[in-house]
Amino acid sequence: MSNVFVRYFNLMLITLVILSLFSFFLAYLFPGHPIENLTGVRLADISQLENSEFKYRSGESMLVQYWHYMSALFEGNWGKSFNSGLPLYDEITNVLPASIELSSYALFLSVLVGIPLGFLAAMKHHKFTDYSLLSVSVLGYSIPVFWLALLVILIFSLQLGWFPLSGRISLFYEIPKVTGFIMLDIFLSEIEDKQAAVNNVIRHSILPTLSIALVTTTLIIRITRRSVIETMNTEFIQAAFARGLSTRQVLFRHGIRNALMPIFPLLAMQFTTLLTNAMIVETIFSWPGIGNWLIQAIYHQDYPAIRAGMLAVSALVVIFTMSIDLTIRLMDPKRRRLKRAAI
Amino acid sequence: MSCEKLIHSENEKDGIIYCSEGSPSNFNPQLDTSGTTVDASSHQIYDRLLDFDPVSGDIAPALATSWLISDDGKTYTFQLRKTVNFHSISTFTPTRTFNADDVLFSFNRWRIPTHPYHDISGGQYPYTDSLGLARLIKDIKRLNGYRVEITLHKRESSFLANLATDFAIIMSAEYAEKLVARNQMELIDHQPVGTGPYKLMDFYPDRYIRYSKHQEYWREIELTNKLIFDITPSSSLRLAKLLTSECDVIALPAHSEVEVIRQQQSLVLNEKPGLNVGFWAFNTSKPPFNNPKVRKALSMAIDRNALIEAIYFDSAIPARNLVPPTSWAYQSDIKTVSYNPIAAKKLLREQGIEEGFSMTIWAMPVERPYNPNALKMAELMQSYLLQVGINVNIVSYDWSTFRNFLTQGLHDSVLIGWSADNGDPDNFYRPLLSCDSIKSGTNRAMWCSKEYDQIINQALQFDDINERIYFYSKANEYLAEKMPILPIAHASQYQAYRKPIKGLVINPYGGIKFGGVKKH
Amino acid sequence: MQRFSLYQEEYHPSPLHFTWLEFKQNHIAVVGLYCLLFFVVITVFCPILAPFDPTLQSAGDLLIPPAWYSNGGISHLLGTDALGRDILSRVIYGCRMTFGISVILVILAMLIGVGLGAVAGMSEGFRSSFVNHVLDSIKAIPTLLIAIIIIAILGIGLVNSMWAIMLALIPQFVHQTREFVSREMKKEYVLAAKLDGANNIQIFFRSIIPNMGEALVVQATLALSISVLDISALGFLNLGAQSPMPELGTMLSEGIEVAYIAPWTIAIPGGTIFLMMISINLVGDGLRSALRNRLLH
Repeated sequence: MSNVFVRYFNLMLITLVILSLFSFFLAYLFPGHPIENLTGVRLADISQLENSEFKYRSGESMLVQYWHYMSALFEGNWGKSFNSGLPLYDEITNVLPASIELSSYALFLSVLVGIPLGFLAAMKHHKFTDYSLLSVSVLGYSIPVFWLALLVILIFSLQLGWFPLSGRISLFYEIPKVTGFIMLDIFLSEIEDKQAAVNNVIRHSILPTLSIALVTTTLIIRITRRSVIETMNTEFIQAAFARGLSTRQVLFRHGIRNALMPIFPLLAMQFTTLLTNAMIVETIFSWPGIGNWLIQAIYHQDYPAIRAGMLAVSALVVIFTMSIDLTIRLMDPKRRRLKRAAI
Repeated sequence: MSCEKLIHSENEKDGIIYCSEGSPSNFNPQLDTSGTTVDASSHQIYDRLLDFDPVSGDIAPALATSWLISDDGKTYTFQLRKTVNFHSISTFTPTRTFNADDVLFSFNRWRIPTHPYHDISGGQYPYTDSLGLARLIKDIKRLNGYRVEITLHKRESSFLANLATDFAIIMSAEYAEKLVARNQMELIDHQPVGTGPYKLMDFYPDRYIRYSKHQEYWREIELTNKLIFDITPSSSLRLAKLLTSECDVIALPAHSEVEVIRQQQSLVLNEKPGLNVGFWAFNTSKPPFNNPKVRKALSMAIDRNALIEAIYFDSAIPARNLVPPTSWAYQSDIKTVSYNPIAAKKLLREQGIEEGFSMTIWAMPVERPYNPNALKMAELMQSYLLQVGINVNIVSYDWSTFRNFLTQGLHDSVLIGWSADNGDPDNFYRPLLSCDSIKSGTNRAMWCSKEYDQIINQALQFDDINERIYFYSKANEYLAEKMPILPIAHASQYQAYRKPIKGLVINPYGGIKFGGVKKH
Repeated sequence: MQRFSLYQEEYHPSPLHFTWLEFKQNHIAVVGLYCLLFFVVITVFCPILAPFDPTLQSAGDLLIPPAWYSNGGISHLLGTDALGRDILSRVIYGCRMTFGISVILVILAMLIGVGLGAVAGMSEGFRSSFVNHVLDSIKAIPTLLIAIIIIAILGIGLVNSMWAIMLALIPQFVHQTREFVSREMKKEYVLAAKLDGANNIQIFFRSIIPNMGEALVVQATLALSISVLDISALGFLNLGAQSPMPELGTMLSEGIEVAYIAPWTIAIPGGTIFLMMISINLVGDGLRSALRNRLLH
């Protein structure tokens, strides 16, 4: 057991070191001066600084520079954005939680809707309900998420006027940033009307959450359906039926647990898909998340921001997927490798 | 549309959200002529000695209660207003009210190159540089605490109007001294202190600017508790947010969307012919664009009426001169080039421009009132120029880089324009095409003509409008002949806001004003 | 499968034929197939089919609504956009760009991925184990995310976005091939081939490839739908194809500016992407279940 743990830990560490090395060398690959790309401070401004802490780095060997780079990373000194001039650490700790928050809402919603529907489809296997759910799900995961987002805006915001279409809270509320997760921050803050603020956040979240949850929901329906069908075909379920248990009893005593166990990791894996879709949808809903921010940085050729943003996103995804992988291994040592979504 | 369903808490009634089009580069309009910076600072945070009356366009008292002009037109004496309070912000509490020292500080900063604050934030003062104001002013004297005398080297009839523009703001000298002591001089342009109706609370680039009411504002007008600029670069998104009442007021409604706004019961649309011009400037410092005939030929290849229809959706009038018809220097009988691709082709070949010649058109990445969509205009022009055998590459950068490169003269030609800062026609002729304005970065044609400079300087020696008209018509003819720029359109100015907002007026000289605006 | 047979000799369809018979049972999938063929025809013959040049701007015909609107015209069946370009022609060329490029990318990614996967599948030991883990991790990351990161590094543009998507697709094929090859290598027919003296290359091409074909096609349809979605998403975000290129996602993002006065400028390109995705996914689904059914019986 601990062997597996150590192996995964090493693997994760190696991957992260490779990523950080890569991001370090990006500063050299990007146009412009590497020092500018690392610090986000223009050379002209650096030379103005009296005690230039950056000067000594350029003369030294790559390895020493990399060491400085890493220690700066851990100190939270990630450089500054060319575009806004703000420290990247502050910017990223502002935008990354916003994306994680949006993806989490959507994951929660998809699981809540997808799993019951998946069970329903599986129980009515080869019946009308099953077929209609399956066809709807094909529509669901074929729809381009950016188009869907535009459609829901046109319908629910502009035609019906039910929901706001931009941001995650009205600018009238001033919520001081503590964690970056707006709901938590509201509870930690000292504003007067917390209930109104929470309502405002919910109203802002509904449309973006719906837009990205649709694809994942349909995928979860399919994953659940397949797993339930496979479980119901196994011999121990057949044996349970043979003992005279009703469908309901079989399902609740044996079916649910055995069908859900193998798909939980698959559900968790949907998080990365959600995060990617969230990154696209953020640009449409002006959600202040990492996608919106990174894409702006790409437009503006803001190299320090691209470097740090890329590192943050890929590190998050790598850590997340590897931890899920590890959890599965630890839970179920027999499993050779993570089974991927079969839909 | 049932936007009324949206629930408003008490919180929202006491504030106004203005959806603006971009982030200001700082909060000092002396440093930046871009409308975005002016909107965020000039009328919100600061006051000027003089103001324009937004309706009549006349000069009205502001921080100066009265003024005297000597007979030779060279000496101006201003009587200053008493008991005007500066903002008190978290890092600074004023101990005194506004007086002559603040006027001296604010003017000397851009006027005297050795002033300690001159080189803070770059040391470039594009507006005053382009008008040569620093060279015009001989001296500024403090007669007593509330009296200031300005003497000029020569008579200039547009001087008072210049003091009323968005750029002639008054800053706090006391705050500046504090910052020197703390060695944080650059904060003066980022955490500003002024006398204006709102004080800056918080700025997050590309997201928002928060202001709050200046409790002791000297004018007795209605102010809202919270003023928030929601920075929204896309014009369609601004309109959408106005429809869902996420914005109360929007910047620069797109010309294509004007009809949509008119049809909405819950919205108000104000319209006024704009004091602006959108043009195509050739970089006259680069061959072959230094040849007036080439510039003329290129101009003939473009169908400007079609451009106006496609880009401005007919809410603009075709430009004949630099100045719009609302200005007294406008000349309706001036000869302009008309669309004639065959003649254009012939002229180009005569001047040695062969088939397949390629040039760049730089297109602004942002919407401005004078050109709501420069990229789209450039795409249309690309196809027109292809018909006369010229290949066009469209170039665009983000707005600050774009202007930076333009000042360096990296372009072949550029689609840009100008909005007037005051009603004087000099405000078009001088900043756009005089030799001085090349360095200050408002002369996008990089055009320098001694003859032209002489004409427009002569015009300023007279106070009588009819005499000035004579010189400006000479200037118009000269420009029509030399064609450093091709004027395209004078666009109408629009302002769109929700019904509950009261007191908002279009300021013909750019700059939105939130003093006196309230949500009911 | 139970088969009623009148005569003694049984009818044994070839595996490929069997898959096709299974596929035909699924009517929706067949409709999807016809749709897909329709897109293929458009992609191949678009210069003939398009009534106008897709980049031709006519300043006189701005934002003409499609023919079914009361003020629409018959000369522009799907209307025109904000620059007076014919939307039907742009959509037809857009199919070529979005769909055609996707097909090319998938084929390239498949060739490279299968090659790498075969090498990885046949090698053993540390190399294999490390490659496994890295591939496992990469495969869990959505291709679009990888593509966005690659574009962040390479810069904006259609060619860069093609590189990015191709690189992002390769791991899927490597993973599948490696799994398949390492599984097949343990089977007896490969052992038989080995005993006959075949080397690894011969085993791969003669014995394994023929067995892998169908699974590869299923994987390719999956990759195709991902690729179409990614190209149009990158176009939409202005990271990939740039206007005035007639790419469906780019057209969609251009349409946003006039969405309220001309909703068809976003409805038509978006609907086309949607239809394309549905047909690819229906065919993919149909193939997958046909294959599964064949293996079950």
